Amino acid sequence: MSENVLHIDHLTMRFGGVVAVNDLSMDINRGEIVALIGPNGAGKTTAFNMVTGVYTPTSGKITLMGQDITGRRPDEITKLGIARTFQNIRLFSSMTVFENVLTARHLRRTSNFLSATFRLNAAEEKRMRQETEALLKEVGLYELRDEMATSLPYGKQRLLEIARALSTQPKVLLLDEPAAGMNPQETEELGAFIKLIKDKFDLTVFLIEHHMNLVMDISDRIYVIDFGKQIAQGTPSEVQNDPAVIAAYLGVDEEEEVSPA
Amino acid sequence: MTEIKRKKLDSATVISIVIVLALYVAVFVAEQFIPATSMLFTVIKKGATYALVAVSMNLLNGFTGIFSLGQAGFMLIGAYVYGIFTIPVISRMDVYQYYNGGLVQFTLPVFVAMLLSGLAAAFLALLIGLPVLRLKSDYLAIATLGFAEIIRALFQWDKLGPITNGSNMLRLFPNFNDFNIRNADGQVVVYLSTLVPLLIAGVCIFVIILLINSTYGRALRAIKDDEIAAEAMGIRLASHKRLAFCISSFFAGVGGAMLAMYQTTVQAKSFTTAMTYEILLIVVIGGIGSVTGSCLSSFLFVACSEWWLRFLDQKQVIGDFEVPLLRNGFRLVVFSIIIMIVVLFFRQGIMGRKELPDLIRQLQGKKVKGGASK
Ligand SMILES: Nc1ncnc2c1ncn2[C@@H]1O[C@H](COP(=O)(O)OP(=O)(O)O)[C@@H](O)[C@H]1O
Ligand SMILES: [Mg+2]
Repeated sequence: MSENVLHIDHLTMRFGGVVAVNDLSMDINRGEIVALIGPNGAGKTTAFNMVTGVYTPTSGKITLMGQDITGRRPDEITKLGIARTFQNIRLFSSMTVFENVLTARHLRRTSNFLSATFRLNAAEEKRMRQETEALLKEVGLYELRDEMATSLPYGKQRLLEIARALSTQPKVLLLDEPAAGMNPQETEELGAFIKLIKDKFDLTVFLIEHHMNLVMDISDRIYVIDFGKQIAQGTPSEVQNDPAVIAAYLGVDEEEEVSPA
Repeated sequence: MTEIKRKKLDSATVISIVIVLALYVAVFVAEQFIPATSMLFTVIKKGATYALVAVSMNLLNGFTGIFSLGQAGFMLIGAYVYGIFTIPVISRMDVYQYYNGGLVQFTLPVFVAMLLSGLAAAFLALLIGLPVLRLKSDYLAIATLGFAEIIRALFQWDKLGPITNGSNMLRLFPNFNDFNIRNADGQVVVYLSTLVPLLIAGVCIFVIILLINSTYGRALRAIKDDEIAAEAMGIRLASHKRLAFCISSFFAGVGGAMLAMYQTTVQAKSFTTAMTYEILLIVVIGGIGSVTGSCLSSFLFVACSEWWLRFLDQKQVIGDFEVPLLRNGFRLVVFSIIIMIVVLFFRQGIMGRKELPDLIRQLQGKKVKGGASK
């Protein structure tokens, strides 16, 4: 039996009259790549936002490695080992590539503001910088380290968001449409990249994605939701042939989909 | 600002440090030879004071993205704490004449009192920070503005008179001139009354620069850039904002103590909202997010308002011709126009987000990271 890492139990999120996520339950095991798919507005990002503490669920429970994290603050949840990227890229725009990744090390500091200001943490700062360099090399952004983050091409920005998330030293990595805006070649590279970092950093990956080739290629299991409710789950081949899934996607051309905010 | 692989300081940083040190030496030398009454020294003293307060405001508004307008309130606290604890015991009967010499009957050394000024302001920031920092931009600005007004009223309250001297001014405490070294006859041997305030401001600003370039400074910039992303990267918003608020207030408090020394008197009613706006203008003119900019524009601002544009307030007669418009108050009109032009057409301010080393790097023909863009 594989070890359960993230357990989502009857999660519901209501915004006024809108039920964005409706009684969603999921289980993600250590080392898996699990995808959450569904048409636009199905509630995928909302599910991520509940897991990462941006929203407190209306009802339901989220457990990370046995610990109840429902309604905890986002920074606490990140400290506990869940890192994420954003569907609409949210890099630190005043910072370089290097600084973006370095800043995500802040949460693992042992210094306080006085020791940091007066450079009593020089050893730690040096280590953080070295680790950041190493990480940038691993993800192939080292050459771009001095560029302003927002000056990078779109695909590289998505990569940088992943690198920044990795810098928090997560156990579970949440990727919200990491291939959005990427061309087919970049998308393919991204798939290999996700598998690579999963092994290298001993991660469990939970991803939202619209590019079906990518999803089918890298996912161990897939959950499908529509109107906030789960309509199917299983291995890629099971899901692909599920009539409910086909019905939900019918008439929805994946390339035409516009990303909601 | 941004330094990667900072094994050693790069040449631009070294040159910047040398420039700043050279300025200090120049001020020291000038002070020994130019009469102490020269406008130049007035401008440097007040400029240094305003530079510190402006940089402290920039730490909040420019680096953390918290739009606070409480600066005058924190300066007031700093100025009062300094005054209250440094008036010589023998002078207290004179100063607190309506309050029987006041409650406090001891005197602290100048630098201890200045430190206390900062700590008092920081402590108050901690208290009001809890409710206020939850507010979003405009509301936060209004709340801090309100706080400053309340403080101003509170310090004039008669019931607190034994401590604050009510609506009467505090005076006779040590001022910048007391930094001059005198011989037994009371004659000045070494003039330090301009250098010391410049040093105090310099040390404080240096500490702020160190903070900005530490891991905490990066966290604050992350919050300014994108709160949601910062929080998702594990940066606790509340504690970091509170930290920035307290540190900013600490230095505003020290700045208040310096202002007290500059003015030689302290009166609560002079710490108006207009004072906060002056500081805000300095920050905007210098460049939101540039320490160098705040410093430069402080001195420029003070030089203009105290010195260079003074002639606008006086009647000028050239031959038989009396220049029109020049009369008392016209200076402020011209001043406002200059400010409007800056805010409308040079929103980057003097420096954008660049610092002195970035300028030198530009001169050296190197690529500048994080320069004034957007
Ligand atoms: N903060 C919010 N307030 C109100 N409605 C929201 C909010 N966030 C999401 N929603 C609504 O919830 C539904 C699901 O949105 P979302 O989770 O972004 O979908 P997906 O990521 O699957 O495309 C949508 O109808 C959206 O309008
Ligand atoms: Mg979404």
